[in-house]
Amino acid sequence: MKKEKLIFGTLGLLGLLFTACDSNDDGTSPENPEAGVESKYIITATPTAAGSEGVADYILTTDAINEGSISTAGNGIEQDGTYRYYITTNNKFFSMLYGQGNPGAVTSYELNAEGSLEKLSDFQSETVQAFAAVDDEILLIKISRNADSPIASWYRFDTNTLQFVAEGQINTQELADKESGELAFFTWITQVGDKVYLPYFTMKGCCSDSFGTIYPNEANIAVYSYPEMEYETTIHDERTSFIGRYFVNGLSVDENGDAYAFSSSVATTNGELSSTLPSAVTRIPSGSTQFDDYYFNIEEASGGLYVTDQVYVGNGKFVGIMASERTSAYASGNQYAIIDVYNQTVTPVSGTPNPETVVLTSSKSNYVSDNKSTVSVGITTETGSWIYNIDVASATATQGKEVVGGTITAISKLDVVE
Amino acid sequence: MSKQLRNLVIAFTLVLIGVAGNAQNVITGKILDQNQEPIPGATVLIKNTTTGTLTADNGSYQLKSSQKGRFTLEASFMGFKTFSKAIELTGSTQLTLNITLEEATNALDEVTVTGKSVVQQVRDKAFNVSVVDTKKLSNTTLDLGHALDKVSGVRVRENGGVGSQMNFSINGFRGRQIKFFLDGIPMENFGSAFQLNNIPVNLADRIEVYKGVVPIGLGADALGGAVNIVTNSYTQNHLEASYSYGSFNTHRSTVNAIYVSDSGFTAQVNAFQNYSDNTYKVDVDVADINTGEYYPNQEVERFNDQYHNETAIINVGVANKSYADQLLLGVTLGKSYQEIQTGARLVSVFGGWHSRANIVMPSLKYKKDDFIIKKLNARISANYNLGSEQNIDTLNRRYNWLGQFKEYDGAGGERSYSLYKYRNNNGIATASFNYKIDDHQTIALSNTFNTFNRKGEDEANPDNDRYDEPRKTMKNVLGLGYTYEQENWNASVFMKNFFQQNEFTASYNPTGNYGDVAYYNTINTFNHIGYGTALTYFLHKNLQFKASFEKTYRLPAANELFGDVINLQGNTDLKPEYSYNYNLGTSYWLTFKQNLINFNLNTFYRDASDFIRPELNQNQTMQVMGNLASVTNAGIESEIRYQHGKSFAAGLSVTYQELRNDTRFVGDQTVESIVYRDRIPNMPYLYGNADANYTFFNVLRKDDNFNIGYNLLYVHEFYLYWPSQGSEKLVIPEQLAHDVTLTYTLNKKLQFTLECRNITDRNLYDNFSLQKPGRAFFGKIKYTIL
Repeated sequence: MKKEKLIFGTLGLLGLLFTACDSNDDGTSPENPEAGVESKYIITATPTAAGSEGVADYILTTDAINEGSISTAGNGIEQDGTYRYYITTNNKFFSMLYGQGNPGAVTSYELNAEGSLEKLSDFQSETVQAFAAVDDEILLIKISRNADSPIASWYRFDTNTLQFVAEGQINTQELADKESGELAFFTWITQVGDKVYLPYFTMKGCCSDSFGTIYPNEANIAVYSYPEMEYETTIHDERTSFIGRYFVNGLSVDENGDAYAFSSSVATTNGELSSTLPSAVTRIPSGSTQFDDYYFNIEEASGGLYVTDQVYVGNGKFVGIMASERTSAYASGNQYAIIDVYNQTVTPVSGTPNPETVVLTSSKSNYVSDNKSTVSVGITTETGSWIYNIDVASATATQGKEVVGGTITAISKLDVVE
Repeated sequence: MSKQLRNLVIAFTLVLIGVAGNAQNVITGKILDQNQEPIPGATVLIKNTTTGTLTADNGSYQLKSSQKGRFTLEASFMGFKTFSKAIELTGSTQLTLNITLEEATNALDEVTVTGKSVVQQVRDKAFNVSVVDTKKLSNTTLDLGHALDKVSGVRVRENGGVGSQMNFSINGFRGRQIKFFLDGIPMENFGSAFQLNNIPVNLADRIEVYKGVVPIGLGADALGGAVNIVTNSYTQNHLEASYSYGSFNTHRSTVNAIYVSDSGFTAQVNAFQNYSDNTYKVDVDVADINTGEYYPNQEVERFNDQYHNETAIINVGVANKSYADQLLLGVTLGKSYQEIQTGARLVSVFGGWHSRANIVMPSLKYKKDDFIIKKLNARISANYNLGSEQNIDTLNRRYNWLGQFKEYDGAGGERSYSLYKYRNNNGIATASFNYKIDDHQTIALSNTFNTFNRKGEDEANPDNDRYDEPRKTMKNVLGLGYTYEQENWNASVFMKNFFQQNEFTASYNPTGNYGDVAYYNTINTFNHIGYGTALTYFLHKNLQFKASFEKTYRLPAANELFGDVINLQGNTDLKPEYSYNYNLGTSYWLTFKQNLINFNLNTFYRDASDFIRPELNQNQTMQVMGNLASVTNAGIESEIRYQHGKSFAAGLSVTYQELRNDTRFVGDQTVESIVYRDRIPNMPYLYGNADANYTFFNVLRKDDNFNIGYNLLYVHEFYLYWPSQGSEKLVIPEQLAHDVTLTYTLNKKLQFTLECRNITDRNLYDNFSLQKPGRAFFGKIKYTIL
């Protein structure tokens, strides 16, 4: 073995300057090239490598996500900074750097007539912990985790002019209003009607247990006007633990304007999971700033699973990522279910890989088809990464495009700009 | 030939073990050439004894011995005929003998290999070692870090100007995988106030760079090599001072003073200072402070990059006493101030963030040959750093590159609100013993003990009692070696024991009730054995082969275990990294008349596992180190040097390496990683140096010399991320820097230097987007008073 390596190394010395990389062809070509391209799927992927050094996220484009394979080898737009997050809104694709406290460049792209991604602009943004589209803007929030400087900063970004238009600050200690001085930490941002709702958990922000809380069994949602971002009220409930998770949305609005709130029940205290309430869904009716008496116990309906992430599809149906055992407040599940909040049912999705072989799921930036019939998710198992297309009506998934050698971080779609 | 090699071995041994004390015969004098110019580095020895020395800069020497009888004194230097003279020693002979060596005029046979300088002799060891003769650089304004950049196989990368953080790599290994020593003492605990980026080149006599296999005398857990800085050890009174001024308001000064009394009392002071505003210009996209919009490619001046440090090293003690050849008590005092202009990329710009550090380090050095018993040589040293470091980020502002800012209410920082101040209470003790069994065999034993106990507090975050948790680590590296020397070959085998014990706090919930927390202190222990061998063989007196192998470990550093409480989270589960290192090299010397050509070629192979590398922690708020990667590296480095008499010297060195990812499966994956066997990104792999020097002697008056020097640095472009991935890639461009130095020396006392770095004003980058200074001028004046 050693000898082989030595020979390999020596061979390398003899002039193997670069490893030749077979470029895994997309495998698909435009279906009607003469008719012109109308849209492209965007897949972002991180090559699987040890550690974070030297690893970039690559943006790939493709015509189909239900077949074939695509690779980051010799293919894709390399992006600076290892950790990237994406949002598609206003037919533009935004790639944001997670820079651990440093400001960084956000790059925006659109799809040109040739079907290629074209960089629109770079703009400077803070490293934020929550971001979401609100009308034609993106609202971003940078949230303190330090009790000695309990300030969250919000920024409103105009996706037409590609500029920040306003910013402001929220004192998260005052917002949480706890005797212990715990801070509010927004899990995510959801536009509800003409307001934004910011679900949050409380955290100590100090004392060896920064992300811990002594209030593991309550849900809070701060309500702000938009675009003024003026505080209106806090919606409070004690039937569930907090809504959403760190960096994970837990609040979605259906076609009636009712907001459904998902709790994974994963609060921690001194490093241990301490919520005693089950994972459940509650509801804020349209136009109201209070929970009603709707209560859907996910764990009971699923036979003991809890929900870690979910995406709303339509008609009361969500695709949820489920897990059986709580190991961490930050872990995503390894299996899928259709959660029907109207009929209060949880239907396991068949056709996805055996949960025990699942290494990673793309919990953010999954793609919901235009006709609301399928949801495309990325699953990495011990043997590779694939896009699985989940048919919501039948609760079945089919293996789609393989992403060779990397984990799928986002799936999206852009239309050609006229 | 055998005689000459014998002399070589003797001279070599002398350098290693120093000259024995209790001297009674004293022979002093100077070695000069035909023009009465002193010859530094010439060998003077009493044949068939262990007494011998090398001449100092001014050609002077001093021999001490207690022998009686008739002996032959021999003096030699490369390119000169060997001088010998019979002498009678009474046991208390006091003799002054000035020797003029004649130049060897007729070809090879007359040239003696024994005439090699110390620098050359270190190179003759079986280890793959490069030596920087810093005397040749003492006219420049370089710091030690930049002097190292001239060594084949070594790459120094920095983020910016004076005082900026430097990252060293030796044949693909980097960071803490390489250990630094000052006179054989590990520099691990020196803190940022006393580092290679601020120590002037004048402090050192030479720098030894061991690549891969490290001799046990340097007792440490080095994975990829070691750098030993050997300071000037004047044996007589000496006083020199220098001052330089240059671009970006850069001031540097040094004072070296040594006093040696007849009774053996010694006092040494090395003091130095660096100051720079680092206001060089960079090309950057400037963001509008309000809208975030970028204005691309603006040329702006750096504005929060001031650096200064002031350091003094004071030693007092005795020399040549019956109980000690050298006993020095000393203290290193220093402080540094550094403003932080950018984050990991130029887009992250800061206007007020800075750090401070100080060093208060008492030290002890003890040397004694024939320690307790004959032929046992002892070296003992110890130091303890009481200094502290502080990170100051208290401006709740956001800056752009024009220096404009937005200020926010309340407490906060530009990056992370902090006044964190800590002391590492870091101490090191080393002891090494050498016992010469007979003319051929030597046993060496060395031990290095290292203790660390961090205490810190943060006025900005007073409630954070994390700082009260124990953060202790204790390391011990013990080495045992055996060397066998014959006339034309020598071999050594060695074994090292790596031991580490870490104490830290883990929390738990004692009652199961919410909010309860209790702590228990826990201890982690590592114990590993490394081993290796080094061989050298002289096929011919001018042709040497070297081979070495070792299995070695690098123990996790305190920061990696305990974090820095700001950006790095600790990981107390870290295991040591380890590597198998192989070296094979050859050297050839060719001399004719006044010409000397030296050619070195080394190939190396590294097979390393459990590399400690960063990843994001679970909630992605900090980085955390893990044992993540394995790599192999096969490479070749070569160097050719030419010298013509004393007036002209030139050299060229090139390194090429194949640093490849050897992590085949990542985590639980059963499919091969897509970057398996890919070249490790963000690491230079083809680079080199060229230099040329010409000296005009006796220019305007006798003893007035003028020297013109040129240096070229080349680094081939390389990829920031994995080379095989993506089609639109980010590249660190090719670097080509030309430096020119002009020096005029008056009467060997007063030296004026004018230096121009990056003469073509190229945009240089060591790290992605972090632009280094453009063309810069420096002037230096150095005065040697004694």
